[in-house]
Amino acid sequence: MNAVEIDGLTYTYPGAAQPTLHNISLNIEKGDFLAVIGNNGCGKSTLCKVLNGLIPHFITGTFQGTVLVDGVNTLESDVGELARKVGYVYQDFENQIVRPTVLDDASYSCLNYAFPDYLDRGRAALRLCGLEDREGEYVWQLSGGQTHLLALAGALSLRPDLLILDEPIAQLDPMHADRIYEVLRDLNEHHGKTIVVIEHHTEYIADYCKHVMLMKDGQVRWMLPTSQALQRVDELEECNIFPPQVTQAAHRMRRDGLLSGSGPLPVTVGDGLEAFSALRYTPSPRPVPEAPGGGAAVSFQDVSLSYRSVKGEPHTVFQNLNLEIHKGEKVALIGSNGAGKSTLMKLMVGLLKPAQGRVELFGEPIGEKKAEDLSRQISLVYQNPEEMFIKDSIRSDIAYAMQVRGREGWQERTDALLARFRLSELQDRDGRLMSGGQMRRASLAIGVALNPGILLLDEPTANLDIATRREIMAVLDDMKDIIQTAVIATHDMQLVCQWAERIIVLRGGQVVADGTRDEVFGDHEVTSLVGIRPPEIFTMGQRLDPAALCYTIDEFVDCFREVSL
Amino acid sequence: MSKLMQKLSENILDKFSMDFLRNQVLKNAYGNDDTVIAGLDPRILLAWYLFFGLIPWFVNDIPFLLGCFLLVMVTTILARVAGLVLFLFALGVFAQTGYLFLVTLFFGGDASAIAPLLILTLKVATISLASITVFSGLDPDKLSNGLMWYGCPERLSFSISYAYRMLPMLMEEFQNVLLSYRLRGNPPAHDTFPGKVRYLIYQVKIIMQSFYPLMLNTAKRSRTTVEALELRGYRYAAVNKAVKKIRLSALRVSYNDWLFLAISGLVVAVSVLLSTLI
Repeated sequence: MNAVEIDGLTYTYPGAAQPTLHNISLNIEKGDFLAVIGNNGCGKSTLCKVLNGLIPHFITGTFQGTVLVDGVNTLESDVGELARKVGYVYQDFENQIVRPTVLDDASYSCLNYAFPDYLDRGRAALRLCGLEDREGEYVWQLSGGQTHLLALAGALSLRPDLLILDEPIAQLDPMHADRIYEVLRDLNEHHGKTIVVIEHHTEYIADYCKHVMLMKDGQVRWMLPTSQALQRVDELEECNIFPPQVTQAAHRMRRDGLLSGSGPLPVTVGDGLEAFSALRYTPSPRPVPEAPGGGAAVSFQDVSLSYRSVKGEPHTVFQNLNLEIHKGEKVALIGSNGAGKSTLMKLMVGLLKPAQGRVELFGEPIGEKKAEDLSRQISLVYQNPEEMFIKDSIRSDIAYAMQVRGREGWQERTDALLARFRLSELQDRDGRLMSGGQMRRASLAIGVALNPGILLLDEPTANLDIATRREIMAVLDDMKDIIQTAVIATHDMQLVCQWAERIIVLRGGQVVADGTRDEVFGDHEVTSLVGIRPPEIFTMGQRLDPAALCYTIDEFVDCFREVSL
Repeated sequence: MSKLMQKLSENILDKFSMDFLRNQVLKNAYGNDDTVIAGLDPRILLAWYLFFGLIPWFVNDIPFLLGCFLLVMVTTILARVAGLVLFLFALGVFAQTGYLFLVTLFFGGDASAIAPLLILTLKVATISLASITVFSGLDPDKLSNGLMWYGCPERLSFSISYAYRMLPMLMEEFQNVLLSYRLRGNPPAHDTFPGKVRYLIYQVKIIMQSFYPLMLNTAKRSRTTVEALELRGYRYAAVNKAVKKIRLSALRVSYNDWLFLAISGLVVAVSVLLSTLI
């Protein structure tokens, strides 16, 4: 029997002119691990909400066709019964956690559906997600990855056979992302769960999923085994989905006649070893980056800082930290969640004061600067753009800092910024109501409004789908000339490799590595210690030739050549 | 002297940062779940509160009130209540009655006004401390379970624990919105006295304005929460009697509870005895 059978499903949201889902028919086999892909607004999330009965029982609208989940028609069932068959984890998963402690939240659904053994069920679910030793903790003590696992445990506690996850790893660092997928694989292989993920990261799809379904304009284009699905490079790129870097590189090389062979394209690094076996590494001369000329822009001298904690001893973030960032540098700050990246940024803008030591900005201690001088010298763009929107339209948000300072020509400059970040059309809208990419562009425009000497960006590409992420990366590249010094805290290694000139690796409040990308990614000790995962194409190059240091597909294609033996 | 003043004002500002407030609220709600008071049965504690929250209003006998006051002071210490709450309590009670005393003196009263004022102060203080013991000594979940046992609707008890679940998130977000203003705003210079006043007004204004983005952000995130609650069976639980039964089955009255009631009763009895002897 199939886990899901959908026949002729057409669904229109209340008040919408066009149907969001159009004549969908599909079957999902029991025990499948299915990835649903498609660009924004193609109906992926809507389809998933049809499966758990939220549509049409909770969200009304026009519903046609039949949906059978585990043999039960969702129209004849209700959300409560379906919740025991289908577990759902939202993209903004922290909002689905409603109880203060871990065990409480994991067992909450079971309590509500009146299972007398609700605590045992909660504990069992926590064990499946590897959180068994944290059952007494409060939810805000968990890291992002653990919070996601808790949301998963909450869904698992009702023992559904089908699990749906909406972009499970969008907010996580690579280590936590691996952890989530390992848990999912275990659930799929050893506990017989059928798993459906909405996913943009094709590298993860290639490693973990069995089938891929492409959706476009509310319709299912196709559903294919993963290795076949990822071959369709042109079709995927047309939908703004980018196949694994290995596949892209092979596709490009084959198209340009640099790689012979006609078999399927490689989709994982393992496949790549075989497909690229005829290639040899020839280092191509690379421009040596100029050493930054200026003096120190920011310097930390013996900085120590700790946070108050709810119970017990304060939590120490930094202990005698010494660090200098020079004028004109493009720095990437990397490290796992909780390594101190955001704290370091808050110290730089003077939002936090060190308990000991001092932080200097252009040679002067931060504490002695006036707020006005400070905001002209340094600016911080938050990870969550919503927290930067303090006015009711993005135009007034961008203008705010200039306006209150009475800067001459602020209106013209606002116009120019709006145009530069392609926001002119949207200028009267509230920032919160825009799409992820638009919000991010608006927050960048706000950040550079005062033309700061130093720009700090906290996770500029988190939570974005790949197409939007590319767009933001292009914007950052484009901004290189208008900002002097920039620091980005990020988990996104593709961004690091394309953009940064200097990489600082933090671990537990200590700088464990500091240098160019070759120095950091070439040092296996560091990468394995901190759990950095370089871009896939870099790993591919290394596996083919340990001397190869290729960070982008372009570099890979340039450096590896077929040699006739 | 001016240096000391500066240090003091800096210190106070530092203490009242959002970070500190957030920490205190959390401490108050969850930081003391291992105290004697937190270990008591919420039903017993609520019944206890009914006595100490009501009776002092109707009694004007100083030894009795003093006895009650001493008792609730001990329970407050046992509950390890967060410093901020105690500070607000002290400020509230003594500003109120201290001000009455000053007014009395101003209108020609003398020290004889102290006795009636003392009675009022003791009443207010006893009731406040009893409230603090119960509402901040118990963690929100136990409190809501206790309320539910007494027949309060499930919605109320859910709201209490949900509010506490959301508070840390909301406060963090509020802090970030405030920081946005601080980073981008242009506060008036505050080295002179009028400047300081303007700065204070500016800050109050910013704090009020920060609520607007906060509310919109909260509205946005609650969309998911509402759907998730539906999926997690919140609506089913509200109409299902069995759920209430399961939830309340965890409540147990233990030896400690009886001991607590016995000691409270003893203190009350002794103070009544003392007041009849005097």
